[in-house]
Amino acid sequence: MRLFLAILLCKLSRWALRLLGRGGTALPGTLALKLCPDIVARLSRDMRCCVVTGTNGKTTTCRMIEKLLSESGVEAMANRSGSNLERGIAADLCANAELTGRPRRRTAVIECDEAAFKRVCGEIQPEVIVVTNVFRDQLDRYGEVTHTLESIRMGLEKAQRAIVCLNADDSLVASLAPDAPDRVRFYGIDAALGAGSDVSDAPRCIICGAEYEYGFHTYAHLGGFRCPKCGYSRTEPDVAVVGVDALTTEGSAVEIRIDGEVYPAAVSLPAVHNLYNAAAAVTAGLVLGVAPESAVKSLAHIESGFGRMERFELGEARVTMVLVKNPAGCDRAIEYLSGIDGAAAVFCLNDGTADGTDVSWIWDVDFERLFADPAKAPHELIVSGRRAEDMRLRLKYAGADENAVRIVRGAKELADEIAKIPGEVVIMPTYTAMLPLRAELAGRVGRKEFWR
Amino acid sequence: MTELKICHLYPDVLNLYGDRGNVLCMKKRLEWRGISCSVTEVPIGERESLAKFDLFFIGGGQDFEQGLLLDDLRSGKGEDIAAAVRDGAAFLCVCGGYQLMGRYYETHTGEKLPFIGALDLYTVGADERLIGNFAFESEFGPVVGFENHSGRTYLGEGVKPLGRVIHGSGNNGEDGTEGARYLNCFCTYSHGPVLPKNPALCDGILAAALTRKYGRAELVPLGDLSEREAHESVLKSLG
Repeated sequence: MRLFLAILLCKLSRWALRLLGRGGTALPGTLALKLCPDIVARLSRDMRCCVVTGTNGKTTTCRMIEKLLSESGVEAMANRSGSNLERGIAADLCANAELTGRPRRRTAVIECDEAAFKRVCGEIQPEVIVVTNVFRDQLDRYGEVTHTLESIRMGLEKAQRAIVCLNADDSLVASLAPDAPDRVRFYGIDAALGAGSDVSDAPRCIICGAEYEYGFHTYAHLGGFRCPKCGYSRTEPDVAVVGVDALTTEGSAVEIRIDGEVYPAAVSLPAVHNLYNAAAAVTAGLVLGVAPESAVKSLAHIESGFGRMERFELGEARVTMVLVKNPAGCDRAIEYLSGIDGAAAVFCLNDGTADGTDVSWIWDVDFERLFADPAKAPHELIVSGRRAEDMRLRLKYAGADENAVRIVRGAKELADEIAKIPGEVVIMPTYTAMLPLRAELAGRVGRKEFWR
Repeated sequence: MTELKICHLYPDVLNLYGDRGNVLCMKKRLEWRGISCSVTEVPIGERESLAKFDLFFIGGGQDFEQGLLLDDLRSGKGEDIAAAVRDGAAFLCVCGGYQLMGRYYETHTGEKLPFIGALDLYTVGADERLIGNFAFESEFGPVVGFENHSGRTYLGEGVKPLGRVIHGSGNNGEDGTEGARYLNCFCTYSHGPVLPKNPALCDGILAAALTRKYGRAELVPLGDLSEREAHESVLKSLG
């Protein structure tokens, strides 16, 4: 009865919120959890669940897994509305359930916040878990990377039957491997695609503290790490990107090795970090029963989520919107931006709870790279958001002329200004800065709102 | 030729919260005035004579790496750092780097970790973290930043606070003090990093280092448009 009421109330409140023109799953999910605290466990009991966690790439990896599944004939439910905390997951499970509690779709791809992961795992009992990476994130909320790691480790301990898919190239993530080797699958990239960064989130061995040696780097602290003192080192991945033939703004052409067999693959999202997401999704897809050929083929059909390297045209501008949340993610965006000659750059920096109230992280991003060659520097710079002044200050110390950096406030004003810029424009907003901007842009470019 | 030699201590383990922005800020503000400077990084395990440096920076770090750091300090480097402070070299120490200049850190289980004792102060661990944008009044005017620390720091007799808290918690959330000042050593819980948004504090530290080396400091005023507006936007948001 409580379950029935909780589902009913959750469905009704979501419907009412939508009538009011609002999205969001926080309130409906909170209501459902209040009425029936074990609702997540009860609704997921008869389902096959794949849970994805980690600092960056959760959303994109989930979209990829969904696509791999649907192209192999399995329609999965997913918490697409963006809330990856327990209440959001509860709300989306309710939406997927009939009033009796019976699930409509029997497979779920669930994105889960790192801090919520330890609770959610105990409730859901996932069949597959994917950990994407661990970077410094919102330190004011999660504390240090070792705390994030500990939170994920506690979740894994509660998920005793899960097959765990881990990033072999991330020394922090790989250290999470459970003792049971038959429950672990590793994925990674077997190619030197970049150099290590100045500010590594994991320069020293997580086991013994000695400085790692690297056979190769892909980006940030990811790559072929090895501890010279205790011998902790990268494990040969089961699924690996082995050859990279092309990396363009539209996507990548690569080769993927799956259990010794090599397949050519086109990945329809650009940049190296999406190769990790692709390898992670393939690994999870295989565990869920997708055939290797089918999994690899589906990678060519991935559409980006709104705001996640999504491309659209607005007035004169050809826009790429890249959500940035932390130094590692922003560094990827800067790498992408610096690969486009004569682009304009728009930074929207907020300091809401979902962004991290501490904006220090912008000083750990190598914005200097944008100004190293004046001929290739962005021809136009706009800053926006509640901490626009902090962002302009950062750009000044990175080498920008402060008088050439414009501060533009308000989503509407910002969209107007962007529409006037001819050519490529890369917009890099933090999470809460993106919401009003995406709503404004969605109206103008005719895309759906995110919660529908 | 006027020149400052900057030493960035432990950039390998004390590098949280954009701390390297402080070094970048000092370097730029010297260069913009035609004063040359060099930055030498001294990580764990490297023994370099510290006596040749004019200005030191130590940032904050993760608990996980603290053990390594204590070993390295005990190998003699801690004594070298304390000697440089006594000798009047300029220091900026932030967060964890601030705490380690003190005598000890007492964990909330009561264990005392000995630090280098360059300054008469100590820190006691607590469960609740003091987190948020904050501001304090100093001899260089108001300073704005972000604090995020579980340790509560208490100053001894010979050490002055760097300032008085206007908004936020500061050293311990009790006595209204923030940071520490002893000779030319400036310590604060403000990261973010602290210097870019507080150019007067940056110039104050640079002036201390220049005066010690050359007997005087000539720092021509800079435009500071972005610095001032970023500073004021935080002050305004604190109300």
